[in-house]
Amino acid sequence: MSSLNRVNESNMKASFLVILAVVTILAPFATANAQTPSGAQNGKKVFEKLGCSRCHGSAGEGMPQTGNGPPKIAATHLSLREFVGSVRDPKGQMPPFGAKQVSDAELSDVYAFLQSIASQPKLELPSSANSDNGKRFYTSFGCYECHGLEGQGSAQTGGARLGPPQIPFSGFAAYARQPTGQMPPYTSKAISDAQLADIYAFLRSLPRASPAKEIPLLNQ
Amino acid sequence: MGPRRKNPVSRRDFLKNAAAGAAVLAAAPAATAKPATLERDTPAIPASPDVEHRPPPAVEILTAERTGSDFMVDVIKSLDIEYVCANPGSSFRGLHESIINYGGNRRPEFITCCHEESSVAMAHGYAKIEGKPLLVMAHGTVGLQHAGMAVYNAYCDRVPIVIIGGNIIDATKRISAVEWAHSVQDAAAPLRDYVKWDDLPISLPHFAESTVRAYKIAMTPPMMPVLLIVDGELQENPTPNDAALQIPKLSSTGPPQGDSGSVAEAARLLVAAENPVLIAGRAARTPAGMIYLMELAEALQIPVIDQMDRMNFPTRHPLNQTERAGELIAGADVILGLEVNDFWGAVHSFRDQMERTSRLVARPDAKSITISAASLFFKSNYQNFQRYPEVDVDIAADAEATLPSLTEAVKRQLNASRKSALADRRVRLAAAHDKALQRARDAAAYAWDACPISTARLAAELWAQIKEEDWSLVSNVALMSRWPVRLWAFENYYHFIGGAGGYGIGYGAPAAAGAALANRKHGRISVNIQCDGDLMYGPGVLWTAAHHRIPLLTIMHNNRGYHQELMQVQIMANRHSRGIDRATIGTTISDPPINYAKLAQSMGVYGDGPISDPKDLGPAIARAIQVVKRGEPALVDVLTQPR
Ligand code: HEC
Ligand code: HEC
Repeated sequence: MSSLNRVNESNMKASFLVILAVVTILAPFATANAQTPSGAQNGKKVFEKLGCSRCHGSAGEGMPQTGNGPPKIAATHLSLREFVGSVRDPKGQMPPFGAKQVSDAELSDVYAFLQSIASQPKLELPSSANSDNGKRFYTSFGCYECHGLEGQGSAQTGGARLGPPQIPFSGFAAYARQPTGQMPPYTSKAISDAQLADIYAFLRSLPRASPAKEIPLLNQ
Repeated sequence: MGPRRKNPVSRRDFLKNAAAGAAVLAAAPAATAKPATLERDTPAIPASPDVEHRPPPAVEILTAERTGSDFMVDVIKSLDIEYVCANPGSSFRGLHESIINYGGNRRPEFITCCHEESSVAMAHGYAKIEGKPLLVMAHGTVGLQHAGMAVYNAYCDRVPIVIIGGNIIDATKRISAVEWAHSVQDAAAPLRDYVKWDDLPISLPHFAESTVRAYKIAMTPPMMPVLLIVDGELQENPTPNDAALQIPKLSSTGPPQGDSGSVAEAARLLVAAENPVLIAGRAARTPAGMIYLMELAEALQIPVIDQMDRMNFPTRHPLNQTERAGELIAGADVILGLEVNDFWGAVHSFRDQMERTSRLVARPDAKSITISAASLFFKSNYQNFQRYPEVDVDIAADAEATLPSLTEAVKRQLNASRKSALADRRVRLAAAHDKALQRARDAAAYAWDACPISTARLAAELWAQIKEEDWSLVSNVALMSRWPVRLWAFENYYHFIGGAGGYGIGYGAPAAAGAALANRKHGRISVNIQCDGDLMYGPGVLWTAAHHRIPLLTIMHNNRGYHQELMQVQIMANRHSRGIDRATIGTTISDPPINYAKLAQSMGVYGDGPISDPKDLGPAIARAIQVVKRGEPALVDVLTQPR
């Protein structure tokens, strides 16, 4: 007998909480690192645990190729003060991170880590990535169930919009392996790095939507 | 007072005579209009041994002018119930016949249902629009068991329905093996956990009193279904001449209102709050509830998050901030919950991973206020009462009835400087509302031309066709990413009916038909966005809609699966890192694909589709609306994205 059960309810709630989840699900980790090894090393850990790497990529490479995606923050031109300011009070899409979630000291470690990365971190999407295969895997491995057949996302499942990607491949793949929210994990046993790359290539092949302002049915 | 009719024979005489000759004949159709003089010279049916040993009665009385069931109809009519939904059953044949003949099949009019779950869900949908119950009849055994899931939905959703279950209580009067199988000692037992009240009247005066009482109980917040078990003999036996049968007067019970101390305290917290937020669940019980809620929201300039278990708040109102629920709840200093089904869940997030964990998402220092009639009624077994919420001011009262006094208390406490601060807040919120609407529209543009059709496109195409009509959305929106409420302008109470309550699938199609039945006399176009899996529970309701000429536009959200469950199985496969491409087994209904247009046509409903190209959708909807405007149901099958 089929019925919407507990998980579905929490999924529905997730739809209310998507925005929030980005900010808060990561919070408990914030104070984890009491004894700092070296600044940059600790910074890398904080960077990953707080989910900065999801949007900005594991090497802070960002998505410079898309207009308003997460910028490259490796080897940033920003001063430490400007850097901390951008994290506490972001300009646009980025969720703010308050002092409760991450301390100034931790952010300075993150800054040290990002400054230690070469000024041109390379994108990690292998050139062999195949979007036709990716389209198949995207469907057969169930990504479409929560993210829609064209990666459009859903307010009900809480699945983020994936197509075309708003985050770099390194963050994309890392999230699929070890999600911090509701998404079920896809381990390397279940899906290979190459297959994830194919999926990313498929999502990258999708067109950007026309602006809603140009679609009459979306202005009624 | 019910009308009294003269009766040719007293009950005692009737029984005496009947005992002699009718042991076998009782099974034969009893409702002939012939006079009571049917004599049998050549027995068509062999007489039972018992009959052979007794002298035959002079004249066997086989008919009666008036029976208990006629009086029962008088009682039902006194409650002004518009329809009775039922799948026919012998244990209430007396009542059935009295309704259509003695009662003239008017108020109540018999609605032929193809399943008891349909009967109850139709009454559920009707009550959501009309604010009052229908009558449902069912066998006390096989019928009520079929009805159970739908009754549970109505119970969770706090919807009034009056249910009558037939039964044959006297073991020596059960006609056949079938009737034995359809008789039960305590017929209400299986449903007792999820009806508000049940009774077993053993006389007609008892029936009258219990039926009026049942109606009153169902209609007192928190509203719920009620159940009467009515014996077949009580229905079918003649009414004695001298029976002093009286119908008690129905009076409505005033809904419970919040106590003045708590209301003043709630007002104080809300007026002083810098970032308050209001969460509405089943806040508006009636159209007035929506108005009261707007009055409170505007007095406080408080952002409203509408969970839409009812139509609470206009979607385009600048204070409607539903799309910003997460950030508003996280930042709120005072949270007001009005008839919120799961207040704990509104302020926590739950993470469904290997270890199930939850976290408070509201500020730990946030003050919370709840007003809910649910606090006045608890049962133990079924757990729909949700997790225990820690609340600062908990008002056990009906929210709608309490709102006017809360608004008054708020207004009394507002001084000029506070008012101007609130006016600033409104400006900020109005801007945020517009931004959120734009964000929703931008998101809707993704997969715009997709095949199967995106749920956003479906919603937008449908809106274009109905927005100039007097429309009513008679289905839920959760399973299509809530696009209608994100994109359409919902303004009137009847624009939306909320969800099932108990999340029991199979509710959608019949509830839509019931709501459309209520909408019919108002000339509204009822629109049902129908999930395929839900329709397959009881597609017979399409026939009911055709038979009773219920104008209902059904747009299939046909994603060819039990998609919620598909995701559940996917989650399990991922957790085990195995067979992540096999979650479709047991969760999809794609092979063979179901042709819903043909299904509809087979039951006399206009059917079009399947439509998979978004360009074809608008014209198909327009054609179907023409059918609905003629007063008939129509269905358009649309192949859709999962969510
Ligand atoms: C949900 C995606 C997301 C997450 C998570 C995220 N960012 Fe950002 N970040 C962005 C976007 C998008 C921008 C561009 C500005 C904007 O839209 O707010 C940005 C901008 C920045 C900037 C400003 C860069 C510049 O050149 O002006 C810095 C610094 C930054 N992020 C650091 C971080 C750090 C550190 C974390 C983790 C604590 C983090 N971000 C987490 C998406 C994200
Ligand atoms: C059962 C539902 C479900 C399935 C299946 C699923 N996801 Fe997700 N995914 C989510 C949810 C929900 C989120 C939002 C964050 C969270 O709660 O984890 C998400 C987020 C993501 C993100 C982060 C996006 C961002 O912008 O932050 C990526 C990347 C992602 N999913 C990739 C995939 C890929 C690739 C697949 C298939 C191999 C997949 N997902 C399958 C539910 C799902």
